[in-house]
Amino acid sequence: MNMAIFYSIMHWAVYIMIPLIVVSLGGMFSEKSGVVNIALEGKMIMGAFAGTMFMYYVQNVWQIAMSPWLLLICTLIIATATGIVVSLAHAYASINLRANQVISGIAINMFAVAFAIYTARALTTAGSQHIHYRNVFRIDNVPLLHRIPILGPMLFQNTYFTSLLGIIILAVSAFVLYKTKFGLRLRACGEHPQAADSVGVSVTKMRYAGVILSGALAGMGGILYIVPIASAFSGSVAGYGFLALAVLIFGAWKPQRILFAAFFFGLMLSIASQFSAIPFLRDLGIHANFFRMTPYVATLIVLAFTSKNTAAPKAVGQPYDKGGR
Amino acid sequence: MNRDAVMSFLSSLVVLAAGLLIGFIILLVSNASSAWEAFRTILTFGFSGIRNVGDVLLGATPIIMTGLSVAFAFKTGLFNIGATGQFAFGGLTAILIGHNFTGMPDGLRIVFALAAATAAGALWGAIPGLLKAFRNVHEVISCIMTNYIGMFLVTFLIDRYAFNPAVGKSLALPEGSNLPTLGFEHIFREEFLPGFYRVSRVNAGILIAIIAAVIIYIILEKTTFGYELKACGFNKDAAKYAGINQNRNIVASMMISGALAGLGGALLYTSGTEAMGASNVLLPYGFTGISVAFLGLNHPIGIIFSGSLVSYLFLGGARTQVMGFSIEVVEIVISVIIYFCAFVFLVKTFLGKHIGKLLRFKGDNA
Amino acid sequence: MYIIEMRNITKRFPGIIANDDVTLQLKKGEIHALLGENGAGKSTLMSVLFGLYRQEAGAIYKNGEPVQIQGPNDANRLGIGMVHQHFKLVHNFTVLENIVLGVETTKSGVLQIKEAREKVLALSKKYSFDIDIDKEVRHISVGMQQRVEILKMLYRENEILIFDEPTAVLTPQEIEALMRTMRNMAEEGKSILFITHKLDEIKLVADRCSVLRKGKMIGTINVAETTKEEMSEMMVGRKVLLSLDKEAANPKETILSVRNLTKKGKSGEKGSLKDISFDVKAGEILCVAGIEGNGQTELVYALTGLKNIDGGRVTMEGVDITKAKIRKRTETGISHIPEDRHRHGLVLEYSLAQNTILQTYYKPTHQSLGFLKAREIIAYANRLIERFDIRAGEGAETPARAMSGGNQQKVILAREIDRDPKLLIAVQPTRGLDVGAIEYIHRQLLAQRDSGKAVLLVSLELEEVMNVSDRILVMYEGEIVADVNPKDTTFQELGLYMSGAKRSEVAV
Repeated sequence: MNMAIFYSIMHWAVYIMIPLIVVSLGGMFSEKSGVVNIALEGKMIMGAFAGTMFMYYVQNVWQIAMSPWLLLICTLIIATATGIVVSLAHAYASINLRANQVISGIAINMFAVAFAIYTARALTTAGSQHIHYRNVFRIDNVPLLHRIPILGPMLFQNTYFTSLLGIIILAVSAFVLYKTKFGLRLRACGEHPQAADSVGVSVTKMRYAGVILSGALAGMGGILYIVPIASAFSGSVAGYGFLALAVLIFGAWKPQRILFAAFFFGLMLSIASQFSAIPFLRDLGIHANFFRMTPYVATLIVLAFTSKNTAAPKAVGQPYDKGGR
Repeated sequence: MNRDAVMSFLSSLVVLAAGLLIGFIILLVSNASSAWEAFRTILTFGFSGIRNVGDVLLGATPIIMTGLSVAFAFKTGLFNIGATGQFAFGGLTAILIGHNFTGMPDGLRIVFALAAATAAGALWGAIPGLLKAFRNVHEVISCIMTNYIGMFLVTFLIDRYAFNPAVGKSLALPEGSNLPTLGFEHIFREEFLPGFYRVSRVNAGILIAIIAAVIIYIILEKTTFGYELKACGFNKDAAKYAGINQNRNIVASMMISGALAGLGGALLYTSGTEAMGASNVLLPYGFTGISVAFLGLNHPIGIIFSGSLVSYLFLGGARTQVMGFSIEVVEIVISVIIYFCAFVFLVKTFLGKHIGKLLRFKGDNA
Repeated sequence: MYIIEMRNITKRFPGIIANDDVTLQLKKGEIHALLGENGAGKSTLMSVLFGLYRQEAGAIYKNGEPVQIQGPNDANRLGIGMVHQHFKLVHNFTVLENIVLGVETTKSGVLQIKEAREKVLALSKKYSFDIDIDKEVRHISVGMQQRVEILKMLYRENEILIFDEPTAVLTPQEIEALMRTMRNMAEEGKSILFITHKLDEIKLVADRCSVLRKGKMIGTINVAETTKEEMSEMMVGRKVLLSLDKEAANPKETILSVRNLTKKGKSGEKGSLKDISFDVKAGEILCVAGIEGNGQTELVYALTGLKNIDGGRVTMEGVDITKAKIRKRTETGISHIPEDRHRHGLVLEYSLAQNTILQTYYKPTHQSLGFLKAREIIAYANRLIERFDIRAGEGAETPARAMSGGNQQKVILAREIDRDPKLLIAVQPTRGLDVGAIEYIHRQLLAQRDSGKAVLLVSLELEEVMNVSDRILVMYEGEIVADVNPKDTTFQELGLYMSGAKRSEVAV
């Protein structure tokens, strides 16, 4: 295998890994607060939709000259905000109305796909569900760093600002979760809401915070997913929201392990997407889909062996009942 | 009908109305001038002609099956969001058999295809069932995983064994492998030029779906097996107290649920109207089944109607494309309905408070 | 001047008055015990003080000033802390994290754990708690977990400390240590409210004791001047015997035989069974008495097969059923009226008729070839409705959920009795029912006895125990501490057994 293929696989692994990290961190905040979140996919789609639509308008409709940096940052902000708005629907249903959190999540996932496609058709001039934008964000070489042997071409060539952002978010999330008052209280609400309540922590507020954070990160994750790998959004994030859920489970709801899980999943999918270029894998005659399903199979196996002693927050999925003991 | 059933039915209507209202708003926002026309189309097109009625039934067939699948599991305390994967496996099995067992007589081949598809769905449903019963894995999570694993497997198998590069989908089945139309083509047709007909492809599938609903109704309501299953679903502690084997029932319930979805897949792909895509996309039927199940109050007979209703809306929604709208508006309506279903009990309680008194009053007079 | 005074508190729940015009006065620096039977209203009163419930009438004063307590935050501000009976600890947090939760010291949102650590370590040392504050709570013993709860209060510098049945989960050594700690804290001027029904502990540690019975305050006494017997009498009262015409029992052959039954508790002593042996004979009502949570539930689960046991033997008419499945036990002739009728006894979504066949739906009388015989089932339910006088709006088709508690219980009773069992296990069969229903159920139990059935009655109500039974076993902390004849004992004596103040040699 020559180095070019190796680097290419690593680049793709990173492109895939970053949104998975960010979105599963979103899922982590929600579940740590005690709210199940299978709507990550829907929130990603809504974030990606709003963000790409914004880029489409800036570039094609309004034709505003904007530096790539500014455009990217505005896009990320819009995607994040959209994710938050969507997550409020989930928060309201699952926290205030104490509704079935799974049904609400499914509804949001369905709504997002339909809404993104419907609106894209209505708003783009071509009337198609594809929202095109010019991808001006790639950084061919990071100054100086790209010269580092091996690591340089791996991480600092053909890269995106979003990759750095993803790593920053990971570090910040880990810090927030374990080193701040907010993190401590959030985790308490997902493990033992009655205990949190008995020491005066508002379970409702903390759960709202968890769900909103998940919306923000998943919405942003939609753009992080789209930007490195595509120049159009077509109403789908290819199940990455569910994959992020698998990352969360595989990563045992812990930031460090989420990094590892996301990298493993990213590598598998990267190989799947490029394996025709890898001679020895091509000769094996294994269909790409077998690499694609590895993350899900691995997660299922992990579940089968850990569920009796699961790392999941104890009270996740249970509406909080003040009277409960 | 008792008061509770009336409340349930009313809350279903409220949820439906809420979904339609939001759909109408979206139509209004996107194109106010033809919004009303489009809305009217969605609400009436399915009945504008006998051929459309046939198409409504055709479209209802697979989602009645997935609706039954979801409802059956739900009645027994399980949430089967894996219907889409089970559906795909059933469809795949029917396609492969339809292509490869051409030596078999037609009628026998179809029966064999349907039976094998049912078994395939049951097997795929057994995985989350077994994991739940013996490893305590929550079925929602394992269903998500098996959905994707199934999707990749099915796509691979289509790609390898039944791929038609011309359309990028599965090969069309030989005519003898499709479900018989039972003469429906003479009923559900419209003459658009003298002597020329537009014919609905509605076929025996809808009858099979209705029979399946009736059988499920009988199992749930009339048999000791259904009695056990429901007892586990309603109150697993009481079921244990009564000496009912819960683990066996969990697996059985998921297998039956999977079987229904698998049969649904077979009915779709042997209807001569659909080919299975060879790209990695989750099929929507399993998720639509959730809304069908809840709109039908998780009652097998109710699901025949809610499945037809959802199909009816989809047909009308597709029709709005001629006015420049797209069918996704119906999917938005459906998703809003599902969202409200998440707290349908709340709607019911609300109705119970405000309308219940009225009803009771009337009941007393009667 | 009292540090806390609860004046004329009344708190109602649907159907019952949990606290009826109760006044409680707590002096600074005292240990004040709150004594009463199950359901006397102790926990409710403390929940009002801690802000978990709002009282309908009455007021709370601190140092003579009226105060409003709307929630745990208010209570904390007033220096009131509580060790709940079920600990409120986050299992995968460290001890330290659990202590600071809710009152974290932060610098721009970031936890400043160092100061907290020093403060906690100092407190732990002062009370010789010997606790590893960096361990996760799930890895430490129940006794240690309780110390975490105490540290939580001390860390918040609470001066009024409520302990809700703190010794229920502890070993004797841990109890001793807890008593010492309580004394130490009182000597430092902290005021302690101590909910219990164990008279020994009151004698050991409390200065004064207030006794509640059926929601009413019976009185407050100085512990040093009062005997255990007097306190017991205050707790249980001079019960008026309901007249229940009852012939003397005529016990015959042994039906159920239990030998050396043991089960380890999940957490410490709670839920354990220690070497339990007894027989139940045909034609007698054997009653297991005791305060809630002393192993009665576990004993019943062990007999009916709902939970496994660690050792011992259970036989029905000589047949070993120690490891038999639930269905098998049912078939050997055990009927079970469960403690929690909504959890185990009924499927509330099912109709009355469907609930009557819960144990027998698979028998040929109710099904053929797997199909339920709808008409026969309805007819069967109608027979039971008539025989047991079950009242339900829509007859056999009434959803169980729509029925009153008493009639729900009658459905269970009817179902279990009609199966013509050899042994009827009835667990708190009259809980929450009105007088009429109670009497009805007592008569049915007697009728079963008189028709030659063995009846095992588990009850928390002393009145019921004395009234109905032919023989009484008292359970205390998973053991049988007394085997007495109701004719030879008194309420007071039973109270002493139940609260661990007395035990007799028990021979099988």
